[in-house]
Amino acid sequence: MPENLLLYQTEIIKAILETFMMVGASVLAAIIVGLPVGTLLYSTQKGRLAENRYIYIVVSLIVNSIRSFPFLLLVVFLIPFTRLLLGTAIGTTAAMVPLAIIAIAHYSRLVEQSLLDVPRGVIEAAKSMGASVSDIIVKFLFVEARSGLVLGLTTSTISFISYSTIMGVVGGGGIGDFAIRYGYQQFKTDLMMYMIIIMIILVQSIQIIGTTIAQKIDKR
Amino acid sequence: MIELHNVSKKYEQFTAIDHVTISIQSGEIFGLIGPSGAGKSTLLRLINLLEIPDSGTVNVDGQILTQLSQTALYKARKSIGMIFQHFNLLANKTVYDNINISLKLANYPKEQRRERVEECLRFVALENMRDSYPRQLSGGQKQRVAIARALANKPRILLCDEPTSSLDPTTTAEILAVLQSINNTLGVTIVIVSHEMNVIKSICERVCVLADGQVYETVGIVPKGVKSINRHPQTFVDELQRGEQSDA
Repeated sequence: MPENLLLYQTEIIKAILETFMMVGASVLAAIIVGLPVGTLLYSTQKGRLAENRYIYIVVSLIVNSIRSFPFLLLVVFLIPFTRLLLGTAIGTTAAMVPLAIIAIAHYSRLVEQSLLDVPRGVIEAAKSMGASVSDIIVKFLFVEARSGLVLGLTTSTISFISYSTIMGVVGGGGIGDFAIRYGYQQFKTDLMMYMIIIMIILVQSIQIIGTTIAQKIDKR
Repeated sequence: MIELHNVSKKYEQFTAIDHVTISIQSGEIFGLIGPSGAGKSTLLRLINLLEIPDSGTVNVDGQILTQLSQTALYKARKSIGMIFQHFNLLANKTVYDNINISLKLANYPKEQRRERVEECLRFVALENMRDSYPRQLSGGQKQRVAIARALANKPRILLCDEPTSSLDPTTTAEILAVLQSINNTLGVTIVIVSHEMNVIKSICERVCVLADGQVYETVGIVPKGVKSINRHPQTFVDELQRGEQSDA
């Protein structure tokens, strides 16, 4: 094993754990908040389940605005908010706040897209069976869109890994931060390469898992 | 008994249904026919309020649907079955679950659901397909699953929107026979929209001809019955050759 890897073993493991924590928080936020927000974007659209122009415009504007920020700027911009929320804007936990916010905005658009792919006929059949709006969403839309929702989450998760790499600016740590501080700033190019390899393995694994699950649950 | 009184439906500038009044007796097979754009499907959807009329009233078995609250309407729809041209099954659920979902929505007693699903599957002769997914079925089989789903909750009315329009003649006959037997054995009122004259003629007792969103005429007819179709390949050959001769 190359000596630099052994030498920095503890730091590397710590960095990997930090990345996992930050990405994990993003994924959770995406599922818990992003999925409902995406569903809201879908249902309030013209001609859909609960058409409401005003809600759609407002939610859509917020989501677009969040996504317009270069992520680095969003992190800096949110520092006062993070401090208000957690008492500090520095550290891995604090880094989760901007990550969660971008995660929600990112995934909600993908949710909206997947739901739009469900044929209108299925919804019409659901209505004819006396399904309420919430029945239609949970028992019909999510069932039919499930592989798209999983693939969307996979794409999102990979983006979250990328976003997490810049969290060094607020002391969030993580693999990206380690690669910059040791690999780039201390000229240990080999360490940087190792970090890139770890990232590649991570992204590959997530994509393979996501694709496999999506295929398994897709009976269309 | 279904009574639409003076119903109208507009989409922006286009008047889909223009002051239509029809009444459909319990237990009959009622047809709606007309050129495309005549408003057949819209009129059918006004019966279970999938389309909400701009004016007029819809009365189904004494219940004025146009006056119901949203929740009461959900409930009322559970006793009106509906099938569609493109079947509209859940592709990610098995045949069994596709039928079961309508029972779940209707809060059908849990311990009786399994039995009821099996019963419906037997009715459409698909017992051996219960664990298949729609993808694995032919068009005719999909439509029979849709019929089983529509029947599961023991509706008194079955609305059929172009039920055979994406099926071949043999399968069409098979589906029509199923609809006929639903009417005969279960006494379910059937309203069927079709642009195919043969379909209408073979099972309907009364037919409403629509044109430009209005009733052109309602006629009583004697249904011709469902003709079973000879599947023998020679019939195709014969027909092809016959065509050739008449062209020549």
